[in-house]
Amino acid sequence: MHEPTQAQPALPELLNDGLARVATARTTDELRALEREFLGKGGVIATLLAAVPSLPAEQRRAAGQGANELKSKLAEALAARERELQEQHLSAELAGASFDPTLPATPPRTGSLHPLTQVTRELEAIFTSMGYAILDGPEVERAYYNFEALNIPADHPAREMHDTFWCDRAGSLVLRTHTSPVQVRAMERLKPPFRAIVPGKVFRQETTDASHEHTFHQMEGLVVGEGITVGHLIGTLKTFLREVFRRDLEVRLRPGYFPFVEPGFELDARCPFCTKGCSVCKQSTWIELCPCGMVHPNVLRAGGIDPERWTGFAFGLGLSRLTMLRYRIDDVRHLLGGDLRFLEQF
Amino acid sequence: MKISYRWLSRHVDLTGLSPQELANDLTLHTAEVEGLHAFAPVLERVVVGHVLERAKHPDADKLSVCRVEVGPAGVAGEALQIVCGAPNVAAGQRVAVALAGTELPGDVKIKKSKIRGVESNGMICSERELGLGDEHNGIWVLPEAATIGRPVLASAPAFGASGIAGALDWVIEIDNKSLTHRPDLWGHRGFAREVHAIRAAALRPLDLELGALAQRARTGQPFDLRVDSPACLRYLALELDGVANGRSPDWLRFLLLAVGQRPIDLLVDLSNFVMLDLGQPNHVFDRRNLPRRSIEVRMARPHERLTTLDGIARDLGPDDLLICSGDAPVALAGVMGGDACKVAPDTSSILLEVASFQPAVVRRTAQRLALRTDASARFEKNLAPTLAGEAVAHFARLLAELQPEVRATSLADAGAWTDPARTLPLRPARVRALLGCEIPDARIEEILTRLGLGVVKRTSGEWDVRIPAIRATKDLTIEQDLVEEIGRIVGYAAIPERPLVAPLTPAPRDERRELVRALQDRLSGTHAFHETLSYSFLPEPLAAQLGVLGDPCVEVVNPVAEGWQRVRRGVATSLLGLLEPNLRHAPVVQLYEVGKGYQPERANAHGEPLELHELALLCAQPRPASGARHDEGALPRAKAIVEDLLRVAGRPVRTWITPHEASAAHGLPATLPPWVHPKRCALACGEQAGVVLASLAELDPRVARALGVASDVAIASLWIDALLTAPRTPVHYEPLPKFPGTRLDVAMSMPAELPAARVEQAIRGAGKELVRRLRLFDLYEGEKAGPGRKSLAYTVELVAEGRTLAEKDTQRFLERLAREAEALGGELRRA
Repeated sequence: MHEPTQAQPALPELLNDGLARVATARTTDELRALEREFLGKGGVIATLLAAVPSLPAEQRRAAGQGANELKSKLAEALAARERELQEQHLSAELAGASFDPTLPATPPRTGSLHPLTQVTRELEAIFTSMGYAILDGPEVERAYYNFEALNIPADHPAREMHDTFWCDRAGSLVLRTHTSPVQVRAMERLKPPFRAIVPGKVFRQETTDASHEHTFHQMEGLVVGEGITVGHLIGTLKTFLREVFRRDLEVRLRPGYFPFVEPGFELDARCPFCTKGCSVCKQSTWIELCPCGMVHPNVLRAGGIDPERWTGFAFGLGLSRLTMLRYRIDDVRHLLGGDLRFLEQF
Repeated sequence: MKISYRWLSRHVDLTGLSPQELANDLTLHTAEVEGLHAFAPVLERVVVGHVLERAKHPDADKLSVCRVEVGPAGVAGEALQIVCGAPNVAAGQRVAVALAGTELPGDVKIKKSKIRGVESNGMICSERELGLGDEHNGIWVLPEAATIGRPVLASAPAFGASGIAGALDWVIEIDNKSLTHRPDLWGHRGFAREVHAIRAAALRPLDLELGALAQRARTGQPFDLRVDSPACLRYLALELDGVANGRSPDWLRFLLLAVGQRPIDLLVDLSNFVMLDLGQPNHVFDRRNLPRRSIEVRMARPHERLTTLDGIARDLGPDDLLICSGDAPVALAGVMGGDACKVAPDTSSILLEVASFQPAVVRRTAQRLALRTDASARFEKNLAPTLAGEAVAHFARLLAELQPEVRATSLADAGAWTDPARTLPLRPARVRALLGCEIPDARIEEILTRLGLGVVKRTSGEWDVRIPAIRATKDLTIEQDLVEEIGRIVGYAAIPERPLVAPLTPAPRDERRELVRALQDRLSGTHAFHETLSYSFLPEPLAAQLGVLGDPCVEVVNPVAEGWQRVRRGVATSLLGLLEPNLRHAPVVQLYEVGKGYQPERANAHGEPLELHELALLCAQPRPASGARHDEGALPRAKAIVEDLLRVAGRPVRTWITPHEASAAHGLPATLPPWVHPKRCALACGEQAGVVLASLAELDPRVARALGVASDVAIASLWIDALLTAPRTPVHYEPLPKFPGTRLDVAMSMPAELPAARVEQAIRGAGKELVRRLRLFDLYEGEKAGPGRKSLAYTVELVAEGRTLAEKDTQRFLERLAREAEALGGELRRA
């Protein structure tokens, strides 16, 4: 503390001394102390100002002015030095900061949609954008819709191809072997012309292994209208494949036998994964994608539709297979196995 | 069905058509090709050797040391020394030699070696070692005409074959399923007709008339034939004498071997050849062993027995059709012959049976006995009775060609059959309209004709198409079938693709799908649940663990495995089955599934069981530590999720009721599934009281123990059908408060059994319209709450509309709340 003495230093000296000490202060604490010393209650400036009234009248004005000038200059210097110190501190902090993005962080708990759901939704979106309705049908189905209505009478050898799960001894209920029973169910409900798809679960009495399942998912497609031709079937499926695989794939139709279509086809597409043959296409460069055909007149009749006026086409997409292709799943049993370690990946 | 390229070329000119091109043609125009394989390509790598000398091995009785000339100059100008173990090797023979370095089928690489101390520079091969068949009694002796030193394949004509591009033959494997509707394609002749139509390749005529043989046969005293069952449409019996049975010629053996048929002896081989050539099964009886000079075709009697060719005694019944001699069964019609009458190496007199049987009868017998044979597979496809007559002639002519001394001594032909050939109308314009492709009339006519169909044009523009018997039994029955014939032969690649054109009308809104998607997205997103999809079967061990063995369910008659007959009644059971296996890998399991369950006791008039659409979710976690917050357990967590889901579904929960209340107030069934904790469960209702939208429960501890699960587990089900029919609560915006309100905490000591909803009701009642938010932040049920008491602490936000809340509002609220609490038997503790 500077006690007022006779030998009061001159103002310029005080100023220089103050400014020099502010300039060399290293911390904000030091600045606070200097602030108290010079500008605080009973500090240097206050003492100077307190002495003013006791001065001769002609000196008072100059002394007052001088003290105030000293006060504002020091205050300014203190503020400037404080900003400077803060800058320095921030720069030092920034210079010392670091982040290792490879250091693992606890992941948030997340959920997932089943891969079959994801693929089904994608296909539904493609077809609904083309004006198709999405229909549903029972998994426990009447043999009538699964077979008879589809031109597969009792004793037809095609019934054997289906490896049917029978739900009663009388043979009137089955676990549907395909989504096709919804064809005649749809015809009974909708008036032609119409377009519809039917995603769903189907069943075959079959021993399971990595590529065979007794339960899998299919998507039926059905279009009935006037003047529908094989050309429309080809056009429709090519459009669909372009959307799914996001590029043009060469396709071919070859004869295939299904009692509920006539003519019946298998649609193959060029393997989207190779050019010279791979494990997916079994080295053939073609993958079998979709049984299809023109709706058999007997099926239209079963649905109460006049086959002379209306024609149509139907196709069946293997949802399980498309899902396996999409995610390169090599064991079909994972799809319905319910193992979280599998489900979490999607 | 296996098609041999060489066999096919007996029927149709394949010049300029490679096996690969042939396979491709058949793929695109006829049937599904499963594979194309070279038959015996190794014959290009083994050479013809000449055995100069055979000497005994000095150190082994069964081995011999041969000097074999393998080229004009041999190897290094000398004959090779080869050790051979075959008994039939002899000097002077032409043999197939695998030189050192040659690879044989089965990854066998021939090396120079020492066999019992004697150097051997290759191997003299048997047919089996070359992958030709399973003949392994000795080495394969080649005809003398084989050229020494050249690849064996080059000498193929010497053994009645002709090598084609790198192999003795090429075999195209056809998927049998794609031939289900084509009885005509179960023999090579049918495929030849296809190639004729596809490629316009010349079809070689095949004479299927008995001709001179018949003349002689008809003079003989025929077998006494009696067909006593409509299951046999036609039965032909041709008696042949003077047969010298024995090894078949190589051309025949190699054709059979190529298509995977093991050669046996001439009679069996010819029988198989005729079947694989024309598609008509047939059977050869040794005349000696037929007890009577009569054949009777009848249904079997109960428990009648027959030992079939494979040596198995079959127990038969009235569904099986039998061929009998006198009364003794000698063959199982259409499936397999009897063991007693089979041909032997010394058979010289035979009875050839060629018949037509009803497909369904043959199939049932084959299926019941699990005895699917080449014959039964063909009869099941519905063969034309006319084909039987042709096959008799084919067999007899082939045999007579090989053995001119064979005599036909009698022929009998019985059965009430009719020729299935028919006429179908065809409108060429309809062909074009259905295919969407311009095909001229002339081209249509050409295709039909090449396929063996007859065309008669009527003045009306409609055609009459004559369908021959072989195509008439199955696939060509309506006009559209003919459209397919034309389409597939023209090739579908010729049809231009066309876009569908239809009025732009939106498909009807699909509320069910929208709802399910919203719920899936919410669960998989916000709530971090994993979606699963399960089998619809409820395996018996799981049903037992869940205590639902006695529940009615749809049962499959032929389950995929024992105990897998039950079809689930709901989805929750499937999730419970996934609990234990998943908990082995993770402490927290959050799964859900959207699916269907079936309840047979509530079937409709058509006998279809009631279908329930359910979203089930399962939430398992470690049991909360003591002192944990009241809502940290699986059950309250699941409850909060269900409430959120129902809000997303537009049907927020109005009330939670107990199953007991539901039963008392709304007449709902009082029984709970056994896995539901009897006390810790509830049902959620929306705006309509008594309509349950969701069920919620903790896992019953007894079931948990049975499942081997120690975690804290909650299960919930959302009933999609109920949700869809429940009225939707519209979402209306709540204006934001314009004036400041106040927030205060209240603690209340209340009777332990009083539901929290009543306390909340009291708080809202005490606040009149002022209570904007209410949140329970603590629940204490421990000792310090006092006997029979619990302590509930809420944060209450009070806001007045149109004015700033005054101190006296809060005071009045607290006074009223204290009174309400007292009325409920509790007290307001702290404010």
